[in-house]
Amino acid sequence: MRLIDALNTLNAARGRPDRVEFDLLCGFQPLHLATLLGARLQQVEPRARVHIREGRYGDLAGNLERAAQAPCRGAAVVVEWDDLDPRLGIRHAGSWSHDRLADVLDNAERSLARLESALAALADAEPVALCLPTLPLPPVALTPTWQASPLGTALAECIASFAARAGNVPGLRLLDHGHLDRVSPAPRRSARSELTTGFPYTHAHADAVARALARLLVPPVPKKGLITDLDDTLWSGILGEVGVDGVVWDLDDGAQQHGLYQALLAALAASGVLVAVVSRNDPALVEQAFERGDLRLSASQVFPIIARWSSKSDAVAEVLQAWNVGPESVVFVDDSPLELAEVQQRFPEIECIAFPSRDADAVLVLLEDLRDRFGKEHVQAEDVLRLESLRTSSRLQGAAAAGGPVDADAFLSTLDARIRVRAGADVARRAFELVNKTNQFNLNGERYGEAEWRSLLAAPGSFVLGLDYEDKFGPLGTIAVVTGRRAGDEVRVERWVMSCRAFARRIEHATLRLLFEELGATAALLDFRPTDRNGPLREFLAELVDVPSAPALLRITREDFEAACAPTFHAVARSEAHELARG
Amino acid sequence: MADVRARLDRCFASVFPDLEPGELQTASPQTVAAWDSLANATLVSVVEEEFELEIPPDDLENLVSYTALADYLELRAEAG
Repeated sequence: MRLIDALNTLNAARGRPDRVEFDLLCGFQPLHLATLLGARLQQVEPRARVHIREGRYGDLAGNLERAAQAPCRGAAVVVEWDDLDPRLGIRHAGSWSHDRLADVLDNAERSLARLESALAALADAEPVALCLPTLPLPPVALTPTWQASPLGTALAECIASFAARAGNVPGLRLLDHGHLDRVSPAPRRSARSELTTGFPYTHAHADAVARALARLLVPPVPKKGLITDLDDTLWSGILGEVGVDGVVWDLDDGAQQHGLYQALLAALAASGVLVAVVSRNDPALVEQAFERGDLRLSASQVFPIIARWSSKSDAVAEVLQAWNVGPESVVFVDDSPLELAEVQQRFPEIECIAFPSRDADAVLVLLEDLRDRFGKEHVQAEDVLRLESLRTSSRLQGAAAAGGPVDADAFLSTLDARIRVRAGADVARRAFELVNKTNQFNLNGERYGEAEWRSLLAAPGSFVLGLDYEDKFGPLGTIAVVTGRRAGDEVRVERWVMSCRAFARRIEHATLRLLFEELGATAALLDFRPTDRNGPLREFLAELVDVPSAPALLRITREDFEAACAPTFHAVARSEAHELARG
Repeated sequence: MADVRARLDRCFASVFPDLEPGELQTASPQTVAAWDSLANATLVSVVEEEFELEIPPDDLENLVSYTALADYLELRAEAG
């Protein structure tokens, strides 16, 4: 991003009444880094104006300690060598004589110890994105610059050990230096700028650091599903021509890039990413190919597998229906430009990516790109359950459809459905994740930053509860979340989301009943806002009240609810809910 | 040369967004309260980026107004 574009991005948001603040904490003059970071954050903050709070020059540890006392939306922390000892910078003319180098190292270790303590306190108060030294050391050591020096290796060891510990601090995300090496090659230091203004980075390096820090502070929403082609994509060769034993994906056959692609898909599937196959192929042959024991992606990790000769976009539409996700959450990978164009034309929101079958270097870039699009910090229990629960839903729909029109009450009563209520800290992380990614059953579509979420849950009278669901077809994990505040004998519902995997089980009815029963409320006030996507939520509400086309506070009395509510058949484990009611 | 001034106008507008278009040509640290040392460093960087040049420190000392910068950039443009 050019500096003028960054300034214009920030200027364009100046008139917005709401302001969100982020800290940029470093020991140098933040100058263009503050501008570029602000602009990157502004790009992902469409409603408010972003303000970057800066600390004091030359006092990184003090800046961290002060910021922890007044937390904001998040903090970008940038450490450079002269924060560890001024003699490791170029603005301080301290001694570089070899008999002082041990003292430099001792001082650096002491500085790191203070930083570690301050970082832990800061990460406890607000989300932190940390960037460890990115500049080359000045020529302080005895050795020529092509030879590793004892000081340089000892400092590298200190930093590596510090990074390993920092990476385990809850609430702290560490910038990966391998990534920075790829996107910000030398030169990184601008001595001219550092000596005249105190800002040490070249523009290109500042932009790379700013972009990475912004992504750490406000991570992009990961994609949910990947749809892949088979021939010359998942494997090398045309299945219909070379047969089941003729398709290859290994080193000996010069097709290792396909094996790596399979390995990545298997890893993504294991972390909860939905993986599907659409292929113009003979379904029987595809089934046989997936029975090969050396395939690195097993058939059990893929749902659905659609092999037939009709158009790819029709098959993709079926996959989206089976997954019940929007096209904007999906990536489609195929080696054929024609197929990619056909799918892209029908689903402009899908990320359509070409598989560069004959170019191993390009495949590696593709794998990194896919990891970026699906990257996540943690694998939750629900991630592992997702694929199986989709299969369950498919079986559920199949079972209902098999008998033609069925009595829904009779069918639901046979499911042996069980709900377990989780409350407070037990469900806070999953609630944060679900609220920020659910579209269809979402009371108002509001999204939240981590610090804001913590603050909301800490407010007096607030509650958060999550519902775990399981029936005879298997568990779905925590699939519904409600948060809000108690107000006298009424309950104000500020956020209510339910995973699309949980539709058609009347879990939403059970949720509302639970609120009335466990909180002893006579009425629920719902902070409703219609969105482009929350049609399923509106359909449910329409069973109970008139649903307006504009944002409104909807009031549903317990009496009206009971009169209109369809029967539910869930066994509810209530122990934690009772704790909630008392709290 | 008109192009140089139009591009310089955009640089000034980005660094000093409160300036009215008519105030740009007379801008200097004496007329613009926001023109401090950090704003000056930002302005110089924006100008260097926009005109794809580096201004030597010796030249910078004299470039403390819109007019001085515009004249300097026009001279550099003429010199090719």
